[in-house]
Amino acid sequence: MAAETTQDNLLLDVKGLKKYFPIRSGLLRRVTGAVKAVDGVSFFIHDGETLGLVGESGCGKTTTGRTILRLIDPTAGTIRFKDPKLGWVDIDKMSREEMKAVRPNMQIIFQDPFSSLDPRMTVERIISEPLVINKVASGQELKDRVADLLRRVGMRPEYMSRYPHAFSGGQRQRIGIARALALNPKLIVCDEPVSALDVSIQAQVLNLLEDLQEDLKLTYLFIAHDLSVVEHISDRVAVMYVGHIVEMADTEALYYTPKHPYTEALMAAVPKPDPRRRERPIKLPGEVASPANPPSGCYFHPRCRYAKEICSQVMPELEEVEPDHFVACHFARELKLRGVVVG
Amino acid sequence: MMAEEKVTTATTTKAAEETAARATDNILTIRNLHTWFFTDLGISRALNGVNLNVPRGKVLGIVGESGCGKSVTSLSILRLVPRPGRIVSGEILLHRRRKAPDGTITEETIDLTKLHPQSPEMRAIRGAEIAMIFQEPMTSLNPCYTIGNQIMEAILLHQEVSKREAWELAGDMLEKVGMPNPRQVLSRYPHELSGGMRQRAMIAMALSCEPSILIADEPTTALDVTTEAQILDLMRDLQAEIGMTIIYITHNLGVIAQMCDEVAVMYLGRVVERAGVEDLFYDPKHPYTKALLDSIPHVGSRTKRRLASIRGVVPDPYATISGCPFHPRCDAYMPGKCDQLVPAPANVAPNHMVRCYLYSDEGEVENGR
Repeated sequence: MAAETTQDNLLLDVKGLKKYFPIRSGLLRRVTGAVKAVDGVSFFIHDGETLGLVGESGCGKTTTGRTILRLIDPTAGTIRFKDPKLGWVDIDKMSREEMKAVRPNMQIIFQDPFSSLDPRMTVERIISEPLVINKVASGQELKDRVADLLRRVGMRPEYMSRYPHAFSGGQRQRIGIARALALNPKLIVCDEPVSALDVSIQAQVLNLLEDLQEDLKLTYLFIAHDLSVVEHISDRVAVMYVGHIVEMADTEALYYTPKHPYTEALMAAVPKPDPRRRERPIKLPGEVASPANPPSGCYFHPRCRYAKEICSQVMPELEEVEPDHFVACHFARELKLRGVVVG
Repeated sequence: MMAEEKVTTATTTKAAEETAARATDNILTIRNLHTWFFTDLGISRALNGVNLNVPRGKVLGIVGESGCGKSVTSLSILRLVPRPGRIVSGEILLHRRRKAPDGTITEETIDLTKLHPQSPEMRAIRGAEIAMIFQEPMTSLNPCYTIGNQIMEAILLHQEVSKREAWELAGDMLEKVGMPNPRQVLSRYPHELSGGMRQRAMIAMALSCEPSILIADEPTTALDVTTEAQILDLMRDLQAEIGMTIIYITHNLGVIAQMCDEVAVMYLGRVVERAGVEDLFYDPKHPYTKALLDSIPHVGSRTKRRLASIRGVVPDPYATISGCPFHPRCDAYMPGKCDQLVPAPANVAPNHMVRCYLYSDEGEVENGR
């Protein structure tokens, strides 16, 4: 079994997670194939840490995040979550009703602060909605809670009677964070929370997320494609390629001593903000494989400069090559790969 | 002196060399450019006095946050500013250099702001002398025509060749930009290509008439990192090979460091600092530049430092801020000074300009207020 859990202090444990979207065609709309968006993903998150999930567009990182919250139902696999009250629960087997008890502890922050807030609701209604639905507070108490939440994310409580259009992108993202915090969650899935923001505002939101994590002992699954941001915020990082996790390790180990050729190419491709460190990227021939029609063996082999015969035949499993360093590559133990050069 | 340069002059090789040495060889000079948008909500001063020299054969980066005017600058150069915007005042001087068959180089200066956007002169410049690559390759390619047809259109507009030759040239261009199976791609439609391939097709189209200036407006922002790295690599190679001038517009300081020779930092419609890329990253002067550099996570820094953030937000473009537009967010704000007049450009070192009262006491009176 890949990524066998020998870890303690876990909050989330995902094994063999799959999500296939059917492709229908023809007159009868018969299922003729499947987009394997997530195809056997296993990972875990410790209580109180930040796991970064990186990968290029279409690799399945967002689908993974949403499946964990059951915003999308998984095709296969197990998702175990340690609820503070209920103990270990199997998210993948729960009914809609049962999920309601767990949901307050698992929240999400979306990428686009412009489409994730209802334009016809005031900030007060947006933030109080989860509190009202779960019958946590009402009346003046509810108003006080909303005011507290707004202060917590660095906004003035007077703003609660305004509508989302009156706010800038960074402020809207703060409102989205306040909404996610309303029910005191344990786990927050942050789906590209800063990609839509300007650099100076990005720093404000990243700092806020870090402060909140420290104060409220939050656990983050931080999904992003910006490798510098992920390095900054994550304790551990998992790299996805066409529906698979190809490498997962401590941030330092993954960035400076990567063991998967795809991670190596990613690290070489990050444009470093230093004119004295100009690097040539590693050439990746061809295009990212299609999750509807992936190649045989290791999905990365047609683009991998280290590929040998076995790579086109056998799909490598995610194995613990070194303590806490998981890699899905046949040659993970032999290859000497280049990480980010420390500057 | 300014009046002299406005006059179109043709000079001989020797004189051209002399002028070139004197003017440190700029291909484009922007002087005090104001481009305003007259909307129902009021006047949005997108460009409010932009001064910029674009050195010939170099890569000039323009960096800034959304709303700073970096895209409007490029649209102004191409005279493509959409209504209700227009160039209110200022000059955009294109220093055109032509080599005659007998080897003499003639140089002439044209003020692009004096040309009508739809005039034959401007149409001849657009695409042939100054070409542009846009951010979103899907929306800037026509979905109804094949890639070959679209590149061919640009070639046929500006060069005297037959359709068959143009088709061949288009294929050659696709090969040059590293497109896999270039001849087959000619008869494909944009939707059949991936994002990286579409951007390569855009670059091929922009380069098909061998422009002397290429304006790249966030050409890799919509792409994944590995694709982005390859497009940047390609642009660097082509620049070295063809020797064209690139104006590279982006908000990504990493891309600036990797691509550019010189950098202009824009804030609210003005260039606030301009320097060589090394000086800008290792010896930034303007508080805004410093704050920008401190607010990005540096990959490979190993230390987990807290990011410095700039307080407040970029003010909306309708707001009029007296004095230095950055003063409400600046840590070095000096009351009674920074909020009075806009600081005048000052040279702190050769080829290092900054607009800030920390380096010069001189302010400038704005026009048009």
